[in-house]
Amino acid sequence: MSFYSNELTAILIVIFVGFLPNEVWRVFGVLFGRRIDENSLLMQWVRAVATALLAAVVARLVLVPSGALVALPLWLRLGAVGGGIAGFLAMRRSVLAGVLTGEAVLVIGAWWLGVG
Amino acid sequence: MAGACAVPGFVLVATFIGFGGLMHDVGFPILAGLLSTLLVWALPAQVILVGGLGAGTSLPALALAVCLSGVRLMPMVVALMPLMRGPRPRLWRELLCAHFVAVTMWVEGFRLLPDVPEHARPVYSCGLGVGLTTLSMAGTAFGFYLTNALPGPLAVALLLLTPISFTILLVRNARQAVDWLAIALGAAISPLVANSPGGLDLFWAGVGGGTLAFLVARYGLRRRA
Repeated sequence: MSFYSNELTAILIVIFVGFLPNEVWRVFGVLFGRRIDENSLLMQWVRAVATALLAAVVARLVLVPSGALVALPLWLRLGAVGGGIAGFLAMRRSVLAGVLTGEAVLVIGAWWLGVG
Repeated sequence: MAGACAVPGFVLVATFIGFGGLMHDVGFPILAGLLSTLLVWALPAQVILVGGLGAGTSLPALALAVCLSGVRLMPMVVALMPLMRGPRPRLWRELLCAHFVAVTMWVEGFRLLPDVPEHARPVYSCGLGVGLTTLSMAGTAFGFYLTNALPGPLAVALLLLTPISFTILLVRNARQAVDWLAIALGAAISPLVANSPGGLDLFWAGVGGGTLAFLVARYGLRRRA
């Protein structure tokens, strides 16, 4: 974890590993916007990969956490995420309500267990 | 810029507070993190980057993962550009407007831009984008420093803010079988390949899970139907 704790290194990583690979799609969108078929097989595959990638990142953070979240038991981490989905679905698909419900489950659970 | 202070703007800032907490947790420096909010301006890519660094993913694999996660921005830019372009398009101005396109901007753009006079739309778009970016950078810094000051249960709540809001966004955006399959497979493969050699775990879970979901949805379900 020490190789990027240097501020300059981290800034270079942000530019070359974060900014450029991401921004290229916005530039493509401007330049070739009218010629792209959103429903082509390639775009369908790309969307599936992007969705799976995001789900993988979330699962990684929840199931195999690395930082302070290790202190929480797995069932509470899953319960908070599940509570978030439940709150979202119960309150007319409001993202804010879902996030608040999930966070409430987590804070009450953590406080009850005396974690943190 | 006033348009940035609406409900979607608040959800956005809250998720960036969570991102700031995550940065602090993996030891990512604050200036680089603020720069990532300004330049990357796409929270999934930023979380992949910072979360991946924390998990020890290799840099080329991370660049690939960020690149793949950014693809969804292209159709958003394509769809929103006619509304942001204005009567006399300039390439550099279009590129600047396009930079601010992300999920929140996309939603808010479709809500607000039709009521703006056409000649003022590029300026309005940039104002909205600058407003949202500024608020989000403040959120990032706030979350970063807040983690230290908060009592235990609230600090961990901050860290789980990102996974919770992303899960909800995934559920909200899932419309077809392939979306649900991609979510399930990506999430299921991720812990199995954790700490895989070469720091390629995100690559296997994302590309492997996504490809599998695409193939199953396209060929598997059709055969059964």
